[in-house]
Amino acid sequence: MQRCHIVDAAQLPWRDSASGGVAYACQVLLDGADGAPEALRFRFRDCPSVYAHMHLTSQFQLLLHGAMDFPRGVKHLEGLAIHYTDHNMPYGPFAVSGGHEMLVLHPKAGGIISMANHDARRKINLTGRLYATGEDAWDWSPLPEIPGARVKPLMPEHFGPMAMLVQLPPGAPLTTAPAAFGRYEVVVEGSALMDGQDILAPGFRYVCGPEAPTALTAGDEGVTLALLGFDSDALEGGLTGEGLSLEAEQAMARAI
Amino acid sequence: MTEQATASPESQGQAEQPPFRIVVFADFVCPYSYLTVSQVDRLATEYGVRPIWRPHWLHPETPPEGTPRGPEETSARQQRLLAWIKDMSPEHLDRIRIPEKRQYSFLAFEALEYAAALGLDFEFKTALYELMWTARQDIGEVETLVNAAQIAGIAPEDMRYAMENRLYAQRALDAVNQARTLGITNTPTLILGRTRINGWHYYEVLQEVIEKQGLRAVA
Repeated sequence: MQRCHIVDAAQLPWRDSASGGVAYACQVLLDGADGAPEALRFRFRDCPSVYAHMHLTSQFQLLLHGAMDFPRGVKHLEGLAIHYTDHNMPYGPFAVSGGHEMLVLHPKAGGIISMANHDARRKINLTGRLYATGEDAWDWSPLPEIPGARVKPLMPEHFGPMAMLVQLPPGAPLTTAPAAFGRYEVVVEGSALMDGQDILAPGFRYVCGPEAPTALTAGDEGVTLALLGFDSDALEGGLTGEGLSLEAEQAMARAI
Repeated sequence: MTEQATASPESQGQAEQPPFRIVVFADFVCPYSYLTVSQVDRLATEYGVRPIWRPHWLHPETPPEGTPRGPEETSARQQRLLAWIKDMSPEHLDRIRIPEKRQYSFLAFEALEYAAALGLDFEFKTALYELMWTARQDIGEVETLVNAAQIAGIAPEDMRYAMENRLYAQRALDAVNQARTLGITNTPTLILGRTRINGWHYYEVLQEVIEKQGLRAVA
């Protein structure tokens, strides 16, 4: 089945919330209902520790602004940066600072479960992948097919999931490959015309299916896109409505 | 690094199996290594294993007298560290005391080698971590190592002699180089049988990993 969701973030309401003593503002960009993808936008207030947790589906975090600090692995991220986790792969605790803003992007609803939950610790994906990087760790190179365009990878080529930045000059069209497991195409700077809609940062298109999506076109001032594609891990996990999954679903509902 | 797992329950009793190997590469100055001590000691008790602690020298640039922490490091970073410890291992929060300077590890690695030669490294490392992280003692000082030795059942005067004469310096250096050769980059790094875990993790995860390899609690 071919899926396409286009989200204009400017049209959606913000809501102030708090979870685990951490205050933030949140936008629900896609609600994950009926098997649809789930996408959230968060602005955390400066906080030394957002509690360790995991989601029951694959996840890209796209850090747009501010900083995140972790005790393990890549210890410091500044926007623009990505943080990828497989389903049931815990991360955190982490600190947020400096005007934090990020997108949380799932191929389907994944709930949230605190790692303070000892049962959840027994459901950790022991072979799960976690990858994080800032865009400043990578170099641009020309995109030969499109004059004036360039591309910057954000993940190693054969990692599995894919992430890259693509910069297009004004009016340039971009045709992307089919996204068998789902891909977010996020405007991080400028604007893009997506199926007739003019989408500004940080709006996006989510595509999934065997067919190539329609071409998108850079707006009048060009566009920088983050293309964030899932692999087969996107088929794993998810919400089943039972046990830990139900708890995760309810926790997410409270959080947003 | 590949280790042999213990026998699966089905094959137990058919032939004597090598002991299940748990090796922890860590540095005394790493707070996450400290959080790992009680976990690994618990594994030792519950599963009847004898973990081995090897050095991974996190800050070889630190001079023997230690490095004072700057004002920024002592406030915001400490606040963050304590908040993370509260999340990761709340039972440690009330006891832990963040050292006022970055301490020198290598002498402690020498002492660990001496304790290993006596078969008391497991007890010694626990005692030394506790002295550093709860009693504000400086592991760069021989006196602290002597105190830990006494707690671990090592004759204090023997530890003092070994340290003052640097009898185990080469062995400690070899151990540090071994960690580098093995590509250890995270502190702590746990080798649980055939599985390597980079960085601190939850106790339940350590249990899952070793039980998937056939090891069962002894009581």
